[in-house]
Amino acid sequence: MTKLSDLQKTRNLQHRRYFLNRMSTSLGGLGLATLLSGDANAHRINQQSIGGLKSLPHHRPKAKRIIYLFQSGGPAQMDLYDYKPQLLERFGEEVPKSVYPDDRKTTMSNAQASFPVAPSIFKFSQHGEGGNWLPETLPRLAEVADDLCIINSFHTDAINHDPAATLMQSGAQIPGRPSIGSWLGYGLGNMNANLPAFVAMSSRGTGRPGGQPLYDRLWGSGFLPSRFQGVKFRNQGDPVLDINNPGGVDDVTRRAMLDSLKRLNELQLSTTGNPDIETRIAQYELAYRMQMSIPKILDMSDEPKHILDMYGPDALKTGTYAYNCLIARRLAESGVRFIQLFHQGWDHHGGLPGAMRGQCKDTDAPSAALIKDLKQRGLFDDTIIVWGGEFGRTIYSQGNLTKEKYGRDHHPSVMSIWLAGGGIRGGITHGQSDDYSVNVAENGVHVHDLHATLMHLMGINHEQFTYRYQGRDFRLTDVHGTVVQDILN
Amino acid sequence: MSLSFVMRGLLTLCNLPLVTALIVVLIHSTAAAVDFEKEVRPLLSNHCFECHGPDNATRQADLRLDIRQSAMTVITPGKIKQSELVHRINSDDPDLMMPPPDARSSLTTEQKQLLTQWIKAGADFQQHWSFQPVKQEITKPHRSDKWSRNPIDYYIYNRLRSEGLHPSAPADKATLLRRISFDLTGLPPKLDDAKRILAEDSSVSIEKYIDQLLESSAYGEHMALYWLEASRYADTDGYQNDRTRHHHVWRDWVIMAFNKNMPYDQFITDQLAGDQKPNATLKSQIATAFCRNHRINSEDGSIPAEWHVENVADRVDTFGTVFLGLTVSCSRCHDHKFDPISQKDYYKLFAYFNNNAEWGIGPNNGNSPPFIEIPKSWPNISEDLDKPVTPEPLKLSNARKEAGNGLQRPQPGSATTLMVMHDLETPRKTYLLSRGQYNLLDQSEQLYPTVPSALDFNAELQPRTRYELAQWLTHPEHPLTARVAVNRFWQQIFGLGIVESSENFGSQGSLPSHPDLLDYLATRFIQSKWDTKALLKQILLSATYQQSSKVSPELILRDPNNILLARGPRNRLSGFALRDQALVASGLYTEEIGGPSVRPYMPPRIWRSISNNSYKQDTGTKLYRRSLYTYWRRTIPPPTMMNFNAAGREVCIVRTEPTNTPLQALTLLNNKIFIESARNLAQQAFQYGGESDEERIKYAFQTVLTRLPTQHEMQILTESLALFQQRYAEHPEQASVLVSIGESDANEEMDKQQLAALTMVASTIFNLDEAITKR
Repeated sequence: MTKLSDLQKTRNLQHRRYFLNRMSTSLGGLGLATLLSGDANAHRINQQSIGGLKSLPHHRPKAKRIIYLFQSGGPAQMDLYDYKPQLLERFGEEVPKSVYPDDRKTTMSNAQASFPVAPSIFKFSQHGEGGNWLPETLPRLAEVADDLCIINSFHTDAINHDPAATLMQSGAQIPGRPSIGSWLGYGLGNMNANLPAFVAMSSRGTGRPGGQPLYDRLWGSGFLPSRFQGVKFRNQGDPVLDINNPGGVDDVTRRAMLDSLKRLNELQLSTTGNPDIETRIAQYELAYRMQMSIPKILDMSDEPKHILDMYGPDALKTGTYAYNCLIARRLAESGVRFIQLFHQGWDHHGGLPGAMRGQCKDTDAPSAALIKDLKQRGLFDDTIIVWGGEFGRTIYSQGNLTKEKYGRDHHPSVMSIWLAGGGIRGGITHGQSDDYSVNVAENGVHVHDLHATLMHLMGINHEQFTYRYQGRDFRLTDVHGTVVQDILN
Repeated sequence: MSLSFVMRGLLTLCNLPLVTALIVVLIHSTAAAVDFEKEVRPLLSNHCFECHGPDNATRQADLRLDIRQSAMTVITPGKIKQSELVHRINSDDPDLMMPPPDARSSLTTEQKQLLTQWIKAGADFQQHWSFQPVKQEITKPHRSDKWSRNPIDYYIYNRLRSEGLHPSAPADKATLLRRISFDLTGLPPKLDDAKRILAEDSSVSIEKYIDQLLESSAYGEHMALYWLEASRYADTDGYQNDRTRHHHVWRDWVIMAFNKNMPYDQFITDQLAGDQKPNATLKSQIATAFCRNHRINSEDGSIPAEWHVENVADRVDTFGTVFLGLTVSCSRCHDHKFDPISQKDYYKLFAYFNNNAEWGIGPNNGNSPPFIEIPKSWPNISEDLDKPVTPEPLKLSNARKEAGNGLQRPQPGSATTLMVMHDLETPRKTYLLSRGQYNLLDQSEQLYPTVPSALDFNAELQPRTRYELAQWLTHPEHPLTARVAVNRFWQQIFGLGIVESSENFGSQGSLPSHPDLLDYLATRFIQSKWDTKALLKQILLSATYQQSSKVSPELILRDPNNILLARGPRNRLSGFALRDQALVASGLYTEEIGGPSVRPYMPPRIWRSISNNSYKQDTGTKLYRRSLYTYWRRTIPPPTMMNFNAAGREVCIVRTEPTNTPLQALTLLNNKIFIESARNLAQQAFQYGGESDEERIKYAFQTVLTRLPTQHEMQILTESLALFQQRYAEHPEQASVLVSIGESDANEEMDKQQLAALTMVASTIFNLDEAITKR
């Protein structure tokens, strides 16, 4: 039998290449060196990249991390950011067929007898030095209006939730492609060895509680190795699947068990020589460190009251948007590369005004607090914040139109999103929709352009960042995408 | 968007050399002559096919370097000076040089030399290997070969010899038993079987054991799992609200087909065209549910015509991947860039599957037409009943027309129905769809069912129906079907196919590591009348398979992925096998075949937290069924299985990666079913293991690992048990909590502290690398 110490030497000298080639093993693409060095310092570390591709970044990045606030269901642009005062006079008039042809309507409303213009019920005003228009439902966000880059000329290709959300996340409507967070984790690695590079969280909106569902695919790694998939922080039970020891197993017992497991696995390693065993040993140790570090992230006892107040009354309520925003800040601080929140409840086919008020109430203060909080911690300048859904909504009312009530159907050809933070020009509105908010009038920004721009800010040339699968080099942006220079600092 | 922009985008797509191809080339670099297939074609494919390959739309100068005739317009074999290609690759004039200056790739000096050398030596130019007929000759054993047990070994041995390597010693018997059992049944050996065979002498007992397992029903269940993943089988529709469908009858048909050892050609034929074959039966009609395993969209607002196209495209893509090993899906939007499949070819294949009497949108609750009623007696079908039935016609209704909703939906099929294929009497017309878009029909030419001309291996075969397509596919001369199939079986056992890219046998796929072995296996498979059990048995009886998987540092460096097979296979078990192992070892396992899928433990509110459905967990024995039967919700698949790289079942997947992550460790350490299994294994050890701690540890150890622990291992485990005993004596309340995890009752007669301590030892055993690995 080879002595373990000899084997250690062999490992250090000879197995390095094998490992470097084969270390398809760690969480979020962590480098071997970090893994084996046993750095258990999980929280608030100096944020250096760990893992990732040698060829990246292509250029000096403007931002290190992204917090993507996904608004699931399709928020209505004309009730939020795309102010159309001139439509108030056209209340109830038929939307001209020349502007909105029948064949572009969904089968949910295409059999309506009429398609009346439904202007937004909400009052808008200008805010900040940049004069961004915002509705009365977003008073807290108005306080940071000069940090927001609103895009009112955003557009997508898909008209149904599933393909549209899949396109927004992965650059393709058909499943099987990696999501943007997986791409970034694969390319850039993480900044904390004990946390995943991509964390996803979800919350239910109060605006439409039984809203559109989400799917694991949205944070999936597609054809990239599965270690790059987003780790979903659950809002029920263990925050990360099986992160907690079972009942009746405390830390002392767990450590004792892991120690004997390690000894037994080392015995196997010394008799069979397979380095995969060594990887296994390292993974168990990393799992143990995750068990220590993730509860710390979720332990809010160190947050002062004024911070909690800023995020609003739900800040400590698991599974709310406010709670997730606060966790997002803590994850950003701890070195997680890509953090994505999914807030459901924006699918307002009917009863829009009430539902919209609910959604805005959920998200207004926490979104604004996140910006302020990142700022005061010096993280705003290298964090990109994205706010947006999977498509926009129709200017015509779905169902009956009254002064107080209307609904809106899905609409892909124009919508609103906003960006803030690292490398983004705040206090501007980019692009315009047409008079009816049906089509792009000027400076259209497509899903692929957003992806290209986010990559650019993270130091990646989206055309050169590829992954070979089934004999073809794939990119997040497929064969499309242009960096939107006008919105960059 | 401007055309030049598209072109620029396309150019970025394909340039990196294939890692696998590289490895094969490196291992092969002893040969001095230029090998077209191994060296030249990959180079041309990577650097030239983009503009001088199969894609008609991007082709420049009307030159194709993938076809000999066209290539020879710029190549004069044996004559470098007369070969335009040589001038072009060596030119530094930006107007002449190839690849052109704006291409992302350029040729290295070595690559230029290689091409030059190849032309000098006569520019040997062959059809891509996988389109060539399967070679029939069998290699002979080398005179020095005292190792081989059957022809498989000849190929492995000869290659090892040429590489200066030697096979490893045989695996010890306990290791081998466990390996065989997982490979044939996905379960660990039964302790009684293991003890009996270990006590016996001779290799005959191994062969008998293989036969025993091949006859067990667990064999079919295990084999079905791989097919279910490839066939994207699931219990839900897969889009948006992801409604339940009722498809388990097809899953059970697959299990039975494997258990009966249905010839693989019939297995294919029934699933593609069991409704059309001359002597169709109800069972063969049931088999066609394979073609209905695709996702079905029911989302309100959808356009039926659009999703009809998606359904058919999914059938074509699955057909291409699983039977042809070709990425035909690339041709949906444009001619294939690397393989001779044009966009028109794609829609001609599409035409075979375009004629089902279906509607593009689902009913949003239950099966989508066409469906048939399954007799109550299923799976027992009397001869009287075993006749195809006509599905009820499509009935569309308009749910909320008064609200302006224009969407029509079909009638739903109940839990006693199954979705099948049933062609319309008047076929749908098929046209090429520009960019693959449902509404961009090229109506200038109607397309009819035809197979790609590159695969026209026998001019007499002109399949026009799905049944004829199946006959074409299973024709003994077909160059791909058998190769693709045996390669997948090989991959299942060795972890890596002979062609590593088991989903892609095309120009950009990996080259076979042992081409002659692949052809031998394919030939034998066809000659044996597609006998799957015989094929597996031969593989498992080979000296190659039965080697030890121990490895030296030198060999790890030389061949990290075990391509040359100088050692036995070693792979991490699937999530399915890991859970099943825990269930079997603990005695919790419910042995029951087939039926509706079951709902074992899941994390709290697994569905409700992000969707509008609630997961209702089963109780009792259903919690402990084989993992194959776990309800598969496509949009929220079982997280434990996904953690271990199960295929997601959204689209056809024939290869998953064997990663090793900390999340897997967390599952095996903390997940309820693994803790409950550890406690039940501890209980078994108390009951059957013996009176002493030592005997009980040995019992638990051998139940999971088949072998007995070494002295050193015993020492560690005994110490560890003593420590746990002490902990739980100090914290009796923790012992009570630990032993009450799970729905199965703890044995009240047992001392809880003792049981808790032994539970932790059992959990340690389940977490050993050896337990997680087939080795």
